[in-house]
Amino acid sequence: MIGEYSGFILAGLGGGAVVAALALGLVLTNRATGVINFAFGAMGMYVAFAYFQFRDNGDLILPVIFVPSRIHLLETPTLFTALLMAVFLSAALGAATYWLVFRPLRRAPALASVVASLGLMLYLQEVVRLNFPTGSAATVVRMGVLPERPVRFLGTAVTANRLLLVVFVVLATVALTALFRYTKFGLQTRAAAGSQKGAMLVGISPDRIGLINSMIATVIAGIAVILIEPISGLDPITTSLLVLPALAAALLGGLSSFTIATCAGLGIGMLQSLILGYTVKPSTSWIPDWVPRTGLQQAVPVILVLIALVWRGDALPDRAYLVDKRLPSSPTPRHVALWTLLLVGATSVALLGFDAPHRQALIVTMVSALLALSIVVITGYVGQISLAQLAFAGVAGFTVINVANDGLPFPLAALVATLVATAVGVVVALPAARVRGMSLAIATLAMAVALEQLVLSSKGFSGGVAGRSAPRPVLFGADFGISARGADNFRPIFGFLVLGVLTVSCLMVANLRRNRTGLRWLAVRSNERAAAAAGINVARSKIGAFAVSSCIAGLAGVLLAYSTSTLSTNSFMVIGALVALALTYLGGIASIGGALIAGLLAQAGLFTLVANGGTDGKAGTYVFAISGLGLIVMAIFAPDGITGAVRQGAQRLQMSLRMSGQPPQQTALAGSGPGAGSGLGAGAGPAEGEPDHE
Amino acid sequence: MSEVILQVRDLSVRYGGVLALSSVSFDVADGQIVGLIGPNGAGKTTCIDALSGFTTPSARNPSFSYISFLGRSIDRLSPQSRVRLGFARTFQSLELFDDLTVRDNLRVAAATPTWISTVTDALWPKRKVDAAVDEVLELLGLDSFAEDRPEHLSNGQRHLVAVGRALVGRPRLLLLDEPAAGLNPSETVELSKLLRSLPDRGVSVLLVDHDMSLVLGVCDQVHVLDFGSIIASGTPEQIRSDPLVISAYLGQGSSGVDEPVVGGGSDS
Repeated sequence: MIGEYSGFILAGLGGGAVVAALALGLVLTNRATGVINFAFGAMGMYVAFAYFQFRDNGDLILPVIFVPSRIHLLETPTLFTALLMAVFLSAALGAATYWLVFRPLRRAPALASVVASLGLMLYLQEVVRLNFPTGSAATVVRMGVLPERPVRFLGTAVTANRLLLVVFVVLATVALTALFRYTKFGLQTRAAAGSQKGAMLVGISPDRIGLINSMIATVIAGIAVILIEPISGLDPITTSLLVLPALAAALLGGLSSFTIATCAGLGIGMLQSLILGYTVKPSTSWIPDWVPRTGLQQAVPVILVLIALVWRGDALPDRAYLVDKRLPSSPTPRHVALWTLLLVGATSVALLGFDAPHRQALIVTMVSALLALSIVVITGYVGQISLAQLAFAGVAGFTVINVANDGLPFPLAALVATLVATAVGVVVALPAARVRGMSLAIATLAMAVALEQLVLSSKGFSGGVAGRSAPRPVLFGADFGISARGADNFRPIFGFLVLGVLTVSCLMVANLRRNRTGLRWLAVRSNERAAAAAGINVARSKIGAFAVSSCIAGLAGVLLAYSTSTLSTNSFMVIGALVALALTYLGGIASIGGALIAGLLAQAGLFTLVANGGTDGKAGTYVFAISGLGLIVMAIFAPDGITGAVRQGAQRLQMSLRMSGQPPQQTALAGSGPGAGSGLGAGAGPAEGEPDHE
Repeated sequence: MSEVILQVRDLSVRYGGVLALSSVSFDVADGQIVGLIGPNGAGKTTCIDALSGFTTPSARNPSFSYISFLGRSIDRLSPQSRVRLGFARTFQSLELFDDLTVRDNLRVAAATPTWISTVTDALWPKRKVDAAVDEVLELLGLDSFAEDRPEHLSNGQRHLVAVGRALVGRPRLLLLDEPAAGLNPSETVELSKLLRSLPDRGVSVLLVDHDMSLVLGVCDQVHVLDFGSIIASGTPEQIRSDPLVISAYLGQGSSGVDEPVVGGGSDS
């Protein structure tokens, strides 16, 4: 009976209201600037953390690292001063993110703004984790804003704060709708969204419009997250990911309707709460045990996102779709044999010569590079932003453990797991072939959450929180297992297995890139209409690329399963997928060398080990925050990543050498710093930096 | 005359409330160069989009064949399937692949993939030499720019790359959307020489352009579009003297329509 669940439905109003508020903000920023800001939930999350800190002791904590972040403003903060502070802080945050991050990216490809907003999200999460005190001693008393006493509404008891939250959101919706419909500012925003150039011609400044709208949006998000805290709690990661159901609601409103977005947001919240209510009932026995109950609750907005996206999607962009934006350059791999020889040789020497911690870091580096390679294929070469690669790896990782524990011998189990990941990749690709750009990023993020919540969190599949362990890989009687006692741990032979898989994968990707398949991928990335006119089946090309890249991600997952004593769902959380995309972008998303650099930079990889050694472990603390910042900077200033920067530097060096009239070989010998880069600069590999380690 | 390879009957396209193309019918015979002219917004690009599968025609009677190519109806085929039948097109805005070299722009269009080609491409490190690509590069005089990116070429050369990309799949019919837009007079002369040589290579042409001298100079048959309908058809001589054409398009004469048209504008 619906009656017995009405309590749950009304309880969902609170969660629904915050989803609706974030959706309002997303619609607002999208209408004003054309950007979908993945960091929107994280921005609200930071404002809420700052609010509760200030309310507690009058300290304002700024989102900065390395410099002192705490300013003591007031001795006795009141509700009013704290709320005032929150409004100013969120307006300032909205202004800063627009001015520093999204305004420079107005004309950049969707990938750049996705990457920048992911960088912002990562940065804010890390800043909150680093700057706000946690642990029992330093815990802040979070004083709620709204009264929590129960009231009766439609014959059901519900706390007052839930109803007031809904009132807040409805008022915001009405105000925004009126603002857009009846004021000159609203008209200007609509004009600027229609044509920035045209708006500038009639004297409207798109910068001012974007700035103000971004400030309004962030204030709404900040206030909503503050108000929801007593109901849903506040956590750097889960609160940031509220952006996902909010995106679902915003998309249902076509990213332009405030009213539909708000209704959809409230509906999603109530639906989630209803599912929660339904699944906790002991009488609910038809849901199989392997379905995680909380996962079901999280999966609902995801399914809505997908339906909205696929429903709105179109197989080919129409004539109005502008593709004049520059994508990260993807040079043809050159000197492949030489690079292979050099890198395999150096890595082999390192595997035999390193001590156990360095061997471990090298193995982590190689597995991470493999995952990054899968991102290079799908996002770098084909331009399809996929945030599901880590989830594919997770599917393969737990599949290999399960089938191996069922008695399937090592290489077969790995093969089966890789094929399963490939199949999942193709299934994800089927709807993905209908959407592009930002929408695809959202769709794959939604898929990743669905896989994480419904499959990877399933006790029957992954062993839940405890995780599962793989048996040792044995091939023709030879033990390839990673673990051994003491200093022999992280055995070199496992390292060679990983090196072999990575080398073969890189070579195959290099071949694909140099052959027609790779040309077709780049053609699809560059211009889908022209690709179709050149006889390319765009959808099939994308699905093929998804298959290749999920196969590589699956291999990475298999190797990860064999390289850890216990594989747990935590290795495959969505936040990890964002970091993986970020690092690959940092390395250079459209080249194989970029994937290798991403591996070096990965958490617990060689770079952090070396950096930690030099800084007493401080580098490890800041690695996520720095990579978040680095991501934003790279997206704006160096879309070709580190490999691109090295390549350009080498080209410039060659040019200036030619200009000065000297033969290049001589001057290279004469000791110009990055000499390795000048000879092979056109190639795709890492030209300098880690000659001893790679 | 020789056999008809493209037959268009009653083709209509509607964008919202606007009838962009209204019951257009014409033929292209093997070895013919057919011109399609008309003022801005007449529906020329819409016609090419509909023929090449980028726009869905509005009237869709399943038992009627609106577009027939080589004797079969292609109404329901995707753009890429039409290309594989020998139905190539260029774009007004060229739409070259800027990430690829000139040679690779052509290579990507040269052969159709099979489902196995991803696997063989992964295993095969060497680039295959492609005779068709070299032949077209030589024909268009692009061989010395083959390893350059399109962005480093002149506008005229970029137009040639667009034509080359359409030619490399050995099409039977080539749809050219304003190939002379933005070309200087000597480049236009070169282009018309190239176009006249195409029928001998087994390629028929449907040419859409603003440039009257180009269209009337190279075409065997010309159709004049205005507000989505064909208002005149005939040989270049007949078109030159057609009073309807003069008033609607050439902008001379008595009627109230005064629209001088020059090349290089954009079509809707």
